[in-house]
Amino acid sequence: MKPIIELNDVHFRYPGTKEHVLNGATLSIEQGEFLAVIGGNGSGKTTLCKTFNGLIPNYYTGDFSGSVMVGGADVSQATVSEMSFRVGYVYQDYENQLMRPTVLDDVSFAPLNFGDPDFMEKALWALETLGIEHLKDQSIWQLSGGQKHLAAIAGVLALDPQILIIDEPVAQLDPHHAKEIYKRLKVLQEDYGKTIIVIEHHTEFIADFCTDVLLVDQGQVLWKHPVRQGLLQIDDLLKRDIFPPQVTQAALNCDLALDAHNFPITIEDGQTYFKGLDFMKRERESESHTQEKEAIASLEDLSFSAKTLSNERKTILNKISTSFHSGERIALVGTNGAGKTSLMKCLTGMSKPTSGGGFIGEHSFKKGSLEGLSKEVSYIFQNPEEMFIQDSIKNDLTFFSHSREQDDSSFIEKLIQSFRLEEVLEKDGRLLSGGQQRRASMAIGLATNPTLLMLDEPTASLDVQSRKELIEILQDMDSVATVLVATHDMQLVAEWATRVIVMDQGEVTFDGTPREMFEYGHVWKRAGLVPPQIVQLSIELGMRPAALSVDEFTSRIKEGIPHGVC
Amino acid sequence: MEFVERFKKSFNIEWVKLELLKTAYGKKETYMGQLDPRVIMIWYLIVSLLPWFTFNFVILIGLAIYTSVLALITRVSPLIIFLLAIGVIGELGYIFLVVFFMGGDFEAYASLITLTLKIIIMSIASIAAFASMDPEKLSDALLSFGVPAQFSFAVSYGYRMLPILMDEYQQIIQSFRLRGKAPEKAGFLKWKLVYYYVVIVIKAFYPMMLNTAKRTRTTVEALEVRGFSYSLHSEEAKKQKLSHLKIKGKEYQFIASSCVILTIIHVAGHLYYI
Repeated sequence: MKPIIELNDVHFRYPGTKEHVLNGATLSIEQGEFLAVIGGNGSGKTTLCKTFNGLIPNYYTGDFSGSVMVGGADVSQATVSEMSFRVGYVYQDYENQLMRPTVLDDVSFAPLNFGDPDFMEKALWALETLGIEHLKDQSIWQLSGGQKHLAAIAGVLALDPQILIIDEPVAQLDPHHAKEIYKRLKVLQEDYGKTIIVIEHHTEFIADFCTDVLLVDQGQVLWKHPVRQGLLQIDDLLKRDIFPPQVTQAALNCDLALDAHNFPITIEDGQTYFKGLDFMKRERESESHTQEKEAIASLEDLSFSAKTLSNERKTILNKISTSFHSGERIALVGTNGAGKTSLMKCLTGMSKPTSGGGFIGEHSFKKGSLEGLSKEVSYIFQNPEEMFIQDSIKNDLTFFSHSREQDDSSFIEKLIQSFRLEEVLEKDGRLLSGGQQRRASMAIGLATNPTLLMLDEPTASLDVQSRKELIEILQDMDSVATVLVATHDMQLVAEWATRVIVMDQGEVTFDGTPREMFEYGHVWKRAGLVPPQIVQLSIELGMRPAALSVDEFTSRIKEGIPHGVC
Repeated sequence: MEFVERFKKSFNIEWVKLELLKTAYGKKETYMGQLDPRVIMIWYLIVSLLPWFTFNFVILIGLAIYTSVLALITRVSPLIIFLLAIGVIGELGYIFLVVFFMGGDFEAYASLITLTLKIIIMSIASIAAFASMDPEKLSDALLSFGVPAQFSFAVSYGYRMLPILMDEYQQIIQSFRLRGKAPEKAGFLKWKLVYYYVVIVIKAFYPMMLNTAKRTRTTVEALEVRGFSYSLHSEEAKKQKLSHLKIKGKEYQFIASSCVILTIIHVAGHLYYI
């Protein structure tokens, strides 16, 4: 069969830059593949995918050589509009590709632009295929992140292209919704014969859903393998900060004579592979010692409600009572819309509780002003750009102390060092890379010297390396302030938090240690959470309590050899 | 103080945001909202031009009542009415002062009132027309009147961006406040506090524009991919886009009743001339 995409020795340089982003990329993709494109930061993954739909070289007219054939046609001879019938492209920041006010309008936008008389049928078909017809009359801005992403996919699907490219489909979604997206993509691949290409670094998803993996490095295609073979090129992956799935890591860690061909990559694999092992019990952790520690903030019956467009009052937080203690690492979890961000906003004074309240230090959540509370509380927005209100990182860092006419220069100096911001001090925050932005925004938040530091989704849309750095920073943070993190990242919860608060529909449904939470299946299931792969595997293997990290998993293997080895 | 507290509780930035969004997106089911947007635009042009051809006070009052009733039917947001009322009261106060100090008599006052009344009619008519129309319809109507597609798209895209811009703006303002420091003493008439907020509101504008500008890079690319530039030169695309605009019974009814009412107002004006 003839490949649907064929690249031959493609070189490309963006206009106005010196270095080539693509350096002789050669590849071929068969129809019906579910391909994951992986690679380190700046390896040229996105640029490579933009040659498939002709944005390069037809829209970005840089220095281009080589040939790109899609469905037998030479891309450089076709216009971008012609190509969009063959290749659909969903951006990483998919929100910005939604142009129209309502879902149906947006999904019919492309067919309508091409003057297709059946534009409405096509749009409805796309919505139906993705299972979101019920959203068709909703306003785009009212949708949740996952729904917006599906709407963006439907928008390109409406032209019925043979190939769909999706750039980082799960970066901004909670694991539950991320899985949902992948399931729908799988349907498109299996039932509709589409070729799906994702740029992805979550190897767990690659193992579960993709058929092939392609590794990009320095503008070249290093290799392309079927998924199992690809994910077992451990050295190649680790060199580029891509971590194999947790079950694979566990098998690697085992220090046993291993048969390289049977390595597990999914949980099901893991179950057969590790079957028959005996695990050491783990002593119950000494009762949480937080009680003795000094309480820094207390919440009493804090409730919050807001008006909706249809003029109804909707309860967002319902009588939340709890307290935070110094040195705690608290993870606030729950699906989108559970009330996590609202709770944080009430604690900063950005929203006022409708009833109840509480205190941090001498400041009341109910009566205190934003400026007053900010002496104790610091909040780091989910989008770091919203922290950059000055024209350089340096000015942003000193904004707080300047406005109070304090001299904090030695403290600020220390922050700059520990967050490695020396090089970017004079730059505008908006021009930094994702990881730098996140580090800078955390330093800015800490520059107010808070007792309670709150972060909203700090690991969302970070690449693996920056995520690792961030977790390291968070590890050191508890000596400085009590940290409250709202997150979907269950791996972060498992490996970092000392306390988890689970929220569901504005109420606290669980408050305890991560180990306890993962132990109580009904808690996380009800709240729509998905535990990390290693926790799921431990549960399936009957390990009690479940291991929270790969290291713990392997260190608790008592005896026996994995089933898969013999 | 109780009253002030309650006022602060129900009328804050959130409320303003919600009201603006409701004006832009809400009520598609109202009477005016269901009509063909082209009819409404023509109606608006006529009704807002009519007052300028007459000095007849009765006709003007009649038109004002007529447009107000239509505005009531479309359930215009209280915020918009409040803004309009401020404008009108300000205008009247200003006329009164000018006439008083310049030593004019009632005659002068009356003629200026007539002018104000004309402006009020225009404003109410525009509220009735545009508040009921959703942005898509407005943009389609413009397109069918021959306005370039870039412009009509900009109108609907603007509406799409409105909530995003407002969220962004609000968050940046909060970011300023989270790290800033409000003046400790509010000063005479709280002027220091007012000054503090005014400065923030202005300064927050720049980060908002920069953040938004950065995002539009994807939008521009996606417009290309989704065939927007193709549609600019395609007659077929325009035809399909406007295919849903149809003038039917409801529209004819509206045209007829408008003609009758406007005629009655004019006849009444000539019969009972003040």
